[in-house]
Amino acid sequence: MSRVIKQWPWLILGLAVVIALLAPLLPTQDPYYQSLLARNLAPSAQHWLGTDSFGRDVLARLVAGTRLTLLVAVAATCIAFVGGVGLGLLGCLAGGVTRTVIYTGFDMILTMPAILLSLALMVALGVGTGSVILAVGIAFMPLFAYVTRAIHERESAAGYVTAARVIGVSPLTIAWRHVLPNAIGTLLTQIAIVMPRAITTESVLSFFGMGVAPDVPTWGRIIATAAGFAEQAPLSLLFPVLALALTTLSLSLVGTRLRDTLDPLGKQLAAGA
Amino acid sequence: MHRRTLIQLFAAASCAGLFPPLLRAETGAAPKVGGTLKIALMGLDTSDPHRHSGSISVQQVYVETLTSVANDGTVKPFLAERFEVSDDGKVFTFYLRDNVQFHNGRTMTAQDIKANLERVRDKVSAGWLSTSMKLVDTISVTSPLTIRIELKESFAPLLNLLSELWIVAPESEGWDETIRHPIGTGPFTFGTWQANQRFYAPAFKQYWQAGLPYLDAVDFDLRGDRDNSLSLRSGDLHVAYVNNERLPSLRSDNVEVQFLGDTSWYFMSFNNRKPRSLLQDVRVRQAIALSIDKSAYMSFIGGQEALISNQLTRPQTFYWDQALEQRDTFARPNLAQARALLQSAGVDPAQHTLKVVSWQADYAQVAVQMVRELGFKIEHQALDDIGAQRALAQYDWDLAPFHSGPRADVYLRYARLQSQGPSPMLWGGIQDAELDRLIAQAVDAPSASVARERYLGAWQHVMDRLYTLGIGHSADAIGVAANVHGYQTGFTWSQNRVDSGLARTWLSA
Repeated sequence: MSRVIKQWPWLILGLAVVIALLAPLLPTQDPYYQSLLARNLAPSAQHWLGTDSFGRDVLARLVAGTRLTLLVAVAATCIAFVGGVGLGLLGCLAGGVTRTVIYTGFDMILTMPAILLSLALMVALGVGTGSVILAVGIAFMPLFAYVTRAIHERESAAGYVTAARVIGVSPLTIAWRHVLPNAIGTLLTQIAIVMPRAITTESVLSFFGMGVAPDVPTWGRIIATAAGFAEQAPLSLLFPVLALALTTLSLSLVGTRLRDTLDPLGKQLAAGA
Repeated sequence: MHRRTLIQLFAAASCAGLFPPLLRAETGAAPKVGGTLKIALMGLDTSDPHRHSGSISVQQVYVETLTSVANDGTVKPFLAERFEVSDDGKVFTFYLRDNVQFHNGRTMTAQDIKANLERVRDKVSAGWLSTSMKLVDTISVTSPLTIRIELKESFAPLLNLLSELWIVAPESEGWDETIRHPIGTGPFTFGTWQANQRFYAPAFKQYWQAGLPYLDAVDFDLRGDRDNSLSLRSGDLHVAYVNNERLPSLRSDNVEVQFLGDTSWYFMSFNNRKPRSLLQDVRVRQAIALSIDKSAYMSFIGGQEALISNQLTRPQTFYWDQALEQRDTFARPNLAQARALLQSAGVDPAQHTLKVVSWQADYAQVAVQMVRELGFKIEHQALDDIGAQRALAQYDWDLAPFHSGPRADVYLRYARLQSQGPSPMLWGGIQDAELDRLIAQAVDAPSASVARERYLGAWQHVMDRLYTLGIGHSADAIGVAANVHGYQTGFTWSQNRVDSGLARTWLSA
């Protein structure tokens, strides 16, 4: 039993993923349907978690929001991963001016808080789901790029890489066959660290009206709508806040455990502790 | 009956049907001098008073006008002591007050008035009153305190419209291009302005109305589209615009609620300037109009006090017509009929994405969902005021659910339907010479009843072509904290009027 309790972050994440995947199949109401005569209702048999200020079913929006929020977070993390690792590796392989330009760009991105940078990018890109994904993805690219550079430098000094270089293996092949496989553990850990931050950033953007369209049920939008009616319908605010808090906390804890397990440095630290 | 008399009748008729605002019973205590009033109403979209686009609740405190729309909706002299109108309604003579000083200490003269009128007429191309001022033929100064305006043709709304032509000292910075620091005559000066954030206006100690203002300063919160009710209840704001659904909680916390004399009207426009082929088919527009449940929509906005109407003037007022209301094809939603119309037009809504632009107002989400019920996919951009104006002006959209606030004259509602009207994008940028002609005829009508008939004819023209869908009216509510005295909402959003406003407002402890 205690072992199960220890795994609660995985359980929460698993539940969120299952809900996200099965959302269209679940027998919930239409998350967009408005019943203007049934606004801010308390939980009931018809509306298990009540209704919001537009008379929309909170449970249906929470379920749809899980899918959308995780989708945005996964897509943004993928962009950050591909862009960060790809450009980071390119800079390392090309060296010289290319490396300087790429990493100076990442340095500049990193000087701004992710939320502020995402807000600025949203102003340039315009509101919408695609823009949110791109903005959040760009904001987190440096986190993958720096990890990639560190691993590349560490592996480049290893004897097997030197041997490969001596026998004429190209730098690209070395990176693909030797450096990246060694980086997988650390990069997976990084994904688990970036994803909760992507969820939070998207939620903040949506809360400020800069994310997806106003009636699209992401957690940030649901919280923004409910916040205005906290007095009349506090439960409409409580449930999405709980979903957001538990999911990001779970992801963070999972990231820490992954680091302890997969990242060589994390293993050393864990062993030392 | 002379046109002069008619013009005065017009002024009254345009504002008929107002209801007196509710006022907290005053204690009779002497006004207390000092303090900074914190207020949140609307935004300030430009520092140039001649170039604003209709968002008017801030600048009245630092710039004033020849006339003023009083609390009861009638037009009265303000910077002018009195005015005369010729028998043919073409010549207006204004006799100015002799003790009015600009904020830089210089005394206002008729030459200043002339310079302002000429600037609006000749230099400002897209201002609020630019089109109307083109009717002015000659402006002559007959004495240091007398100015004569001669029109090319009679123009009944002029006296009302002059209540929104703000007088600025010509030596103000940016006069030749865009005024950046207006020097006015108002009870407060143009202090610090941070766009979309804050405007701070210190009191003008040499204000022409002796003893006023009572306050040391007014601090405007310009962030907009926020729920101000909590700030009112906590004391962070003294006066603020509030949503109708917040009224019970405000009243229970001893916050007084006042309503503007005129209503805001709610509508949904189609893109008339550059419509996509889908929306050029009137059956598609009709189908969309039939998806709107006006009753539910207006109830969401204004509760039981909201009014449903297909017209741009409030029901039971002079320029509203019952027969027109009864002929409203879109009075009730009819999704079956709407779907049949789409089918007859060969439109499968699931294959089309409608682009919607709106403010960040909740009612826009209601409109979007009602249209979505037809099966269309929706791409909704909800923006702040400036962002929405920019997006609308690009005409890359299909539907625009908006509202328009109280106006000093019925003409100002029709002006924006004209091809060269101010901010025409809210109504889809209509380009219709026949409609222009009908509105011009209404303005030049020989009697109030004829003007009414012609205005209604112009509106019928709009309805026939479904340029925009009239949905209803709701009075805007303003919350006033318990320690605010002497504050009274007016007929429009103006915060400085001939008979009330922030100059007469004071704070108790």
